Amino acid sequence: MAIINQATKELQVKIVYYGPALGGKTTNLVQVHDHVQTAQGNKGKLVSLATSSDRTLFFDFLPIEALAIKGFKTKFQLYTVPGQVIYNTTRQLVLRGVDGLVFVADSQYDKMEENVKSFANLEENLKTLNLSLNDIPYVLQYNKRDLPNVAPVEYMDFLLNNREVEVPSFTASANKCEGVFETLNMITRILLHKFISDSNRKAA
Amino acid sequence: MPSLPQLIEEDVQELNRALQDLLVKAEASVALIIDKGGFLISQCGEHISFDTTTLAALSAGSFAATQSIAGIVSETNFTSVYQQGESYSLIVLNVDEFSLLAIVFKAHISVGAVKYFAHGTVKEIATQMKKAQKREPNSVLDLSMLNLADPAPVFRKKKSA
Repeated sequence: MAIINQATKELQVKIVYYGPALGGKTTNLVQVHDHVQTAQGNKGKLVSLATSSDRTLFFDFLPIEALAIKGFKTKFQLYTVPGQVIYNTTRQLVLRGVDGLVFVADSQYDKMEENVKSFANLEENLKTLNLSLNDIPYVLQYNKRDLPNVAPVEYMDFLLNNREVEVPSFTASANKCEGVFETLNMITRILLHKFISDSNRKAA
Repeated sequence: MPSLPQLIEEDVQELNRALQDLLVKAEASVALIIDKGGFLISQCGEHISFDTTTLAALSAGSFAATQSIAGIVSETNFTSVYQQGESYSLIVLNVDEFSLLAIVFKAHISVGAVKYFAHGTVKEIATQMKKAQKREPNSVLDLSMLNLADPAPVFRKKKSA
């Protein structure tokens, strides 16, 4: 859960990028790291715990401080999980303390089964932490739209965005930094709204 | 899901005092209190020379991995992770359900001594966290100061040259 430090008026939020292997989760973080506009010193280093072939082994981690929130130190910590099926325990560990999720789906037709399985795996792993997608804000990103064999957005919505509450979804080509910031800004805004409504409820 | 308690100034001061005390006694370089989700809660020492945000995230990840290994070998008592280096060593100790204590110290200092002094610090931190947990959370942080009516995106992409 987010840390709200009343002494230092600091809000720390953890966002996890989840999705099937080779879907573009790490690319999203790399693009945010390379292109985000920050006041000097507000962007941390991108840390990747990856294999020699650049596949995520444990997680990627990028700490950044938000620009537009005045009077507040709001720190976002972005994580990715390893997408490969065998690393499920690792995914569970990274999900600990998660505040918001970005599900990065691969738009290629032949990856639909992997997308659906990964989404189901996310729900299962949240359950082990006594969480559910009803409590954790999330958005969907349909990545790799620049490739030729992509499924229509409506079809991907039908497969992945068919829960009771429809969530925002974005098309993206993360390698060209298209859709990356739109996705990140949406999840942060949903999260901040949630904190405000939770805070108001507590104060009432 | 239970989470770290709301900390007020009194808590942070007490946590910092405990860390400072530990640094003096154990002659350690840096001491951090970390949330198990990877957030840095409090820090003391020569932290200017270290990236403590990343140190906190990686220490929490490393500790979580070790706990999972403990589960696999039916061991419930892996309460610390120790990494011995040539210049600096690191020990991460479990505090309570939500937090960890990470200590960076010069490699020539005995880990036994650091552990001995850290034992008391862990107890002090846990006591303060319990106190914070019990306190009536009547003074919540005023998040209404966050101006979400402002349509400016929270993160902006740099304009390409």
